[in-house]
Amino acid sequence: MSILIIDDSRDIINITETFLKNAGYKDLVSCSSAEEAMTFVGLSENLSPNNDIELILMDIMMPGINGIELTMTIKNHEAFKDIPIIMLTANETVQDLQNSFAVGAMDYIKKPFKKEELLARVSSALRLKHEMDQRKAREKELLETMQQLETANKMLQTLSAIDSLTNIANRRFLDHYLYEEWRRAVRNEASLSIIMADIDHFKLYNDTHGHQAGDEVIKKVAAVLKAAVHRPGDLVARYGGEEFIVVLQDTGKEGGMQLAEKMRQNIFSLSIPHDKSSYGLVSLSLGVSSVVPTMESSTEKLINEADKALYKAKEKGRNRAEYYDGKG
Amino acid sequence: MPEKIIVKVDPDIADLVPGYIDNRHRDIGLLSEALAKNDYDGLRKIGHDLKGSGSGYGFDKITEMGRTLESAAKSGDGTEIKKLIDELTDYLDRLEIVYE
Repeated sequence: MSILIIDDSRDIINITETFLKNAGYKDLVSCSSAEEAMTFVGLSENLSPNNDIELILMDIMMPGINGIELTMTIKNHEAFKDIPIIMLTANETVQDLQNSFAVGAMDYIKKPFKKEELLARVSSALRLKHEMDQRKAREKELLETMQQLETANKMLQTLSAIDSLTNIANRRFLDHYLYEEWRRAVRNEASLSIIMADIDHFKLYNDTHGHQAGDEVIKKVAAVLKAAVHRPGDLVARYGGEEFIVVLQDTGKEGGMQLAEKMRQNIFSLSIPHDKSSYGLVSLSLGVSSVVPTMESSTEKLINEADKALYKAKEKGRNRAEYYDGKG
Repeated sequence: MPEKIIVKVDPDIADLVPGYIDNRHRDIGLLSEALAKNDYDGLRKIGHDLKGSGSGYGFDKITEMGRTLESAAKSGDGTEIKKLIDELTDYLDRLEIVYE
């Protein structure tokens, strides 16, 4: 990182460089005009910014572009706005100093200056610059960490909503979703249906074919059920073991039963052998319940009713869909 | 023999001082030329630079002469400027530098 000295007087450049060099500042660059400095800094057209400058010492009174104009140009440039600028001035007018600070200079040194004064001001400007750079680096780091945290949170949120075996929504997400849909239906006085589906004689299937084969069946059923719903607001979730629940917005008995029947057919036509079932194939029993929710009823009641309809389907011989008709 | 003016200068800048003094000898020529042409802007600029550099090199007298020169140029006081050129010439002639 270099210190840039801009002054039209060779005598000033010489003594400034010597004072700084003797104090251990190795990397010094000098320009004898604002125009030359603009080329070095990369402010002129078609030049890329020089990112290696950590401090500028600049004369105010220079022929051509003066120090105040140059400071303004540098400070208005995104790549250079944080480079500290110390003005070198032999003019004691208050106006010059006010202008310097107004355009962004951080300090000034009156010419003629003594070695001690130059070194003290340069060292304090550099210290401030390093502290600022460190703070900016820490802020950037913090921002990155926060972004990583946010990404991780989103991923966790997704993970905590997804059933790991089937990749469809899990029980936790179902509870949350059903509650929200319930409230929405109450507001809109809309009907809401759920289908509860259960794989028939699944325990026997597991006992015969093993748990891994059982898991495969659960995955296939989940995929088929998910493929059967097409509206964005409808949800298929794994409720537990071999049980699934489908939530259907704005759907009554007829629509619910139609979909349940279609799901039953789709599973049966997978033709997965199941020796211990009277049908010889994996099948699904489904219970459907519908409601126009009110604040007095509850999601638990709706699920309970679908469960009763499911029980009825099992009683009637399985591989069928039944609607909860208010009995039982 | 006119009396010497002894100035103590920081040994750190010993290498720079002969060049600096040479430049001041050159200034005497430039000042006389500028005065002959009534170039008060040029005179003021030289005064300004002398003021800004002198003490830094250890020559308070040069800064002082520069300051006077700058204000004399501003007010167009040729007589005063002539006097200052002589004064600077005399100063440089009698100057003896000690590095310590």
